[in-house]
Amino acid sequence: MSSKDTDDRAEISRRDFVKAVGGIGLVAAGSNAAIELDVDDLWTDDEHHYVGDEYGEYDASDVIHTTCGQCNTFCPVKVQLADGSGTGEYSSLVRKLAGNPYSFLNTQPFSQVPYGSDPEDVAMGDVEGSGDVDKDRWSLSGGRICLKGQAGIQTAFDSYRVRQPMKRVGPRGSGEWKTVSWEQAVEDIIQGDDDLGHPGLADLWGYAPEEAVMSDWDAVQSGEMARAEFDEKYADDLIDTDHPDLGPKSNQIVDVGGFRRNFIRNRLWHQGLGSINSIHHAGTCGFSSVMGNVRSHDAPKKRQYPDIENCEYLIVWGTNPMVANKGPTWLAPKLTNAIEDGLRMDVVDPRLSKTGEKADTWVPVEPGADGALALGMARWIIENDRHDLDYLQNPSQSAANDDDEPTWSDANHLVLVDEPAGPKARASDLGLVSEDAATAEDFAVIDAATGEVRPASEVETAVLDGDVTVDGVTVQTVWHQYRERVFEHTVEEYAEMAGVPADQIAEIADEFTSHGKRAAIMAYRGPAKHTNGFYNTRAIATLQHLIGNYDWKGGQITPDAGYDTMSGRYELGSVPDGHSPWGIPLLRGGVNYEDTSLFDRDDGYPAKRPWFPVAPPQATQELYGSATDEYPYGVEALFIRPYSNNHVMAVAGGDEIPAILQDTDTIPLIVASDTVIGETSQYADYILPEPTYLERWENFGTYPNKRLADEKISQPAVSVVPNARPFEDVLIELWSELDFPGVGEDAIPDANGDLWPLEQAEDFYLKLAANIAYDRDPVEDASEDELRVFRESHENGLGEQFDLARWQAAVTDQEWAKVVTILNRGGRFEEPTAGYDEAFAEQGHDYDYAERGEDSNAYDGEHMRYKLESRVDFYSEVVPNGKHSFTGERFDPLPKVDDIEHYDGTVQAAVTESGEQERPLRLINWKPRTQGMHRTQNSPWLRETRPENPVWINTRDAEDRGIENGDEIAIDAGRETVDAVAMVTGGIRPGVVGAMWGWGRTGDGATAETIDGETRPSVEADGHSSYQFDEPMVEEAGYAKGRDAGFAINHIQPLDEQLGDTGLSDLVGGSNAQYDAFVDVERR
Amino acid sequence: MSENTDTSPSDSISVSPLTDDPESSDSPDEVAMATARARLYGLLAAAFDGETETIATAFERGTFAAVADLFPIAIETTALRGDDYDADSLAIGYDNLFVVPGSHYVPPFASAHATDPGEEFESDSRYHTAGEAGELLGDPAADMAQLYDVAAFSPERGDDIPDHIAAYFEFMRALCEREAALLGDGESKETLDAVRELQSLTLSQLGWIDRFEEAVASHDTVEGVFAAITRLARTFTAWDTEIVTQTDPQPSETTHS
Repeated sequence: MSSKDTDDRAEISRRDFVKAVGGIGLVAAGSNAAIELDVDDLWTDDEHHYVGDEYGEYDASDVIHTTCGQCNTFCPVKVQLADGSGTGEYSSLVRKLAGNPYSFLNTQPFSQVPYGSDPEDVAMGDVEGSGDVDKDRWSLSGGRICLKGQAGIQTAFDSYRVRQPMKRVGPRGSGEWKTVSWEQAVEDIIQGDDDLGHPGLADLWGYAPEEAVMSDWDAVQSGEMARAEFDEKYADDLIDTDHPDLGPKSNQIVDVGGFRRNFIRNRLWHQGLGSINSIHHAGTCGFSSVMGNVRSHDAPKKRQYPDIENCEYLIVWGTNPMVANKGPTWLAPKLTNAIEDGLRMDVVDPRLSKTGEKADTWVPVEPGADGALALGMARWIIENDRHDLDYLQNPSQSAANDDDEPTWSDANHLVLVDEPAGPKARASDLGLVSEDAATAEDFAVIDAATGEVRPASEVETAVLDGDVTVDGVTVQTVWHQYRERVFEHTVEEYAEMAGVPADQIAEIADEFTSHGKRAAIMAYRGPAKHTNGFYNTRAIATLQHLIGNYDWKGGQITPDAGYDTMSGRYELGSVPDGHSPWGIPLLRGGVNYEDTSLFDRDDGYPAKRPWFPVAPPQATQELYGSATDEYPYGVEALFIRPYSNNHVMAVAGGDEIPAILQDTDTIPLIVASDTVIGETSQYADYILPEPTYLERWENFGTYPNKRLADEKISQPAVSVVPNARPFEDVLIELWSELDFPGVGEDAIPDANGDLWPLEQAEDFYLKLAANIAYDRDPVEDASEDELRVFRESHENGLGEQFDLARWQAAVTDQEWAKVVTILNRGGRFEEPTAGYDEAFAEQGHDYDYAERGEDSNAYDGEHMRYKLESRVDFYSEVVPNGKHSFTGERFDPLPKVDDIEHYDGTVQAAVTESGEQERPLRLINWKPRTQGMHRTQNSPWLRETRPENPVWINTRDAEDRGIENGDEIAIDAGRETVDAVAMVTGGIRPGVVGAMWGWGRTGDGATAETIDGETRPSVEADGHSSYQFDEPMVEEAGYAKGRDAGFAINHIQPLDEQLGDTGLSDLVGGSNAQYDAFVDVERR
Repeated sequence: MSENTDTSPSDSISVSPLTDDPESSDSPDEVAMATARARLYGLLAAAFDGETETIATAFERGTFAAVADLFPIAIETTALRGDDYDADSLAIGYDNLFVVPGSHYVPPFASAHATDPGEEFESDSRYHTAGEAGELLGDPAADMAQLYDVAAFSPERGDDIPDHIAAYFEFMRALCEREAALLGDGESKETLDAVRELQSLTLSQLGWIDRFEEAVASHDTVEGVFAAITRLARTFTAWDTEIVTQTDPQPSETTHS
């Protein structure tokens, strides 16, 4: 020690130092209270742990481009494999997930790398013009991805994954399982199992073609065939020979799954099995919004999106594009940049969402009263002559085109007002032309030049408001009826209903009509998920008819543009000798009750359960109650893929579903194909291990919120659970065993009519990639280098699971090089201009080519290049063909203000007049910013960022109840009371409370699971950050709570008073009502 | 002695050796040295965290001046003596010099650790001016965060968000204190080496302190209290770096060379 006592340089001794410092002790002693220093955890080996300053180089052979499945946006992503990490059961670890730089979606606000770019250059960020990560704002070696997407690693590598086929032990829902071999599972499903006492598909299935059955049935009616003969002939094939219109027994084998619709629904279920019942998630989603839009446009248009880059005024209505609605990774940067460039955005939403925070004006509408707000705006617009008269007076495409308008409306078309369903008059209906004339099917209009009623195509300008008689037939223009509807209430009355000041309605309407065609609306679930959601959406959609903003730069856009997937090189939707599914759908969509044989059987109205005559049969929420009631028939076997259709959590009143599933008499066989033991799959007889989205094929579409064409393809990037099989493969095996068409040898015809086998999923998806590759101008062949990169990356990612020869054999040798081009890029993405690669090298990625390029692929002059180009409808002819199955009343062809009602008409929430509620607070809900779906709750990264779902409550309501921010509260919803945490905020409308859905789980590690006698406990908590989360609105990371954290919002929704086993439904649009609960809250 | 009656603090880091008097022999052992260093770092942490009561008390006791006098480099100790400053006046001085107005704050591991700014560096950050200042939350901040993380250290000093410079000195205080405890316990040499290596790594992050001292000196021109404390801090840390280097063991299997 003494030799070190003196520092040569500083020349002070340690002894002096210790002495001088001696007086400090008491002075500073108070400063050490909060210090933790735990060197027990200190790494003492020679690694700098956590210090990530050393990294291995990676290249294109460590990259696979595919599609994210963490939420339904389905972003194109780049999987960065961890080279050489396949040392476990898994084939490779994933180093990181990022956006796909080839895609224009995930490179906003920049432009994507040219499609021809070498994958090696893209992986390394070396594409000329793509920026330098050291110097520039951004480098395009990786595109944009959100936090949910990044957490996909934890979805694939979830330790609670189902790893082997499992068969229940004890009753359904016992939580106990035993593993079985695939062979055993397949045999039991086909042949039935005496242990569990369930039948097999071989016994359950029966099918006869509709034409033969109905021909014989007609013969029975006419006495040409004996009834006993009919019964005997079809006893094994029909559900009920008394009611042949129910269809074949195959209809009682029901598929529930969200995606892979082209393969599983169209090919295997409909044509292979001959069952009409393959159900997706629509009823629990924005179904009524989709249908409201479909019925407002003649050409397919399901959604409302603006051309954000050029829009001057945007109303975001009941949706939150900064967080959700198919594209936060691209809509969020687009919107914020547009706002920076001068866009005014107003947001209509009962709560101040993340999008609302960016708005110029937040309009906190009363939930479910959106239709009143829209019709109030319409009244102001019409009264102030702010509608586009020229647009509305164009009766047809030719007249519209003369005005440089890609679309036109039905406003001046005449309606046969005395006909029961009030159809629009055709020229021949009014005797204007003969029935075989070319213009016979033209709509009839009043020529403004002559006052004569004439076929629409012969008129340049038509009278807008007309009410005339033609040869004794009374006809009125659509506008006449629409205007009358709008004028049923004053702006002040609408304001009262909507809870929005009349001045504000006027201001928004004024602004909306002050930008010519460069104003638009983006609306989705908020207005739609009520029982009046269809009419709300119609009222909003038709506002845009008033300014005719369709297909205009800066207006309402519909670029559903993609590349052929199902046809071209291969006819993937075609099944040689396939079955044609028929009969009444289990969910009773597309059929009027009174047109079925059940109408007489059940003594007419009211029908036992709701029918959805003008919507597709996708009212998911009706599935389980229908099975219980065997209405219109029972469900014998249910196949569920709950990864994207976890109905126990997703359906309003989903807490009623488990009891139905537990009853083996109601549904004798339930098979789940799932990645984990989820809330719904835990009631199955079998759970079959399914690969996650990073391990399998898929082809997700992109919503029309883009300017260019694209087609995404998902491909397996890693294999985490070696024994997992995509459900397609399982079905192919089942169908082959049962000798159903569409699988095995000679299953898929190519363009020459030659037949190709379908034995595994890739046989389908690689052909789909070939179809994409050859559409329009075929893509370039992959070079030798690219082919090598493809092989290496897939060997790295999939290890032994990758069989190159097998993949190659799925297409021709000539096609293979193009298929690799598609797979190496994760799909096909249109470039914004011709000669893009050269321009990109010169101008770089920070340039809006689509906007500025003279030969833009996005724009066609002042119009969008991809257009709707159709009639838009104020008045739907289809809707009044449907009748309410409780009352028999026709649905309304026009938008209207409607109350929120139970099936029997009991008012749940009044819109037209103020109603008193026993519990005064309206409960709404929304998608969380930090979760994609319930299914992402397994991720501790995501749960750390937001460990539960606090209840937003307005300061005023909180004060009345003595509630402060962070207080524990009880939510009394009548039939249920649940605990929650209060978040007191001015950001929600007084009288409304709300919370995020996605919480309150009981599956996927939220509760204990027993497999082969071993119990794994539930996840209690996880995380690695020492910061505390204890207060809503305090944006600090916290420990992730258990997977069961928070409360399930759908389990406190009201049940339909008539049905008692599910939530309320919109009978026109088909959606499950999910924002119409009334609750009270009190401090615990 | 049964386990139940063993109340020795030796196994617990929750009882600080700072509550005892340090060794006062003529040849202080390593425990006393580490304890003394911990105390001075603790005082500096308190000073830069705005604990003006503590600063005022230190003035009354002449502590700053006594330490400053040790160092051969000229430190203007006039400002560090006597009882001219009460806690309130020091608080005003501290706020004027260090507190950022508005809702923004400097994270506890950030800006002070900025290294020389790159002339080429472009940033969207409103806190960054190319060629004039380093990058907020850049690599230096990550380096400090990693050091804190390695030691499971939470900068939680005071009632509010801890000052970043105070957090730095508090970290050094905790490391020195831990060193003293380990020496006293005679625990594994590996752990002791690891703690000393952390001290060395932490001190190597002090590239900013010269410019920091200049900046404080140029602003604290009238009273000069904080300028003097900063100069003391700079001098002490330079000296301590030498100390740590001397006690830092030779490269071994468990430490870096």
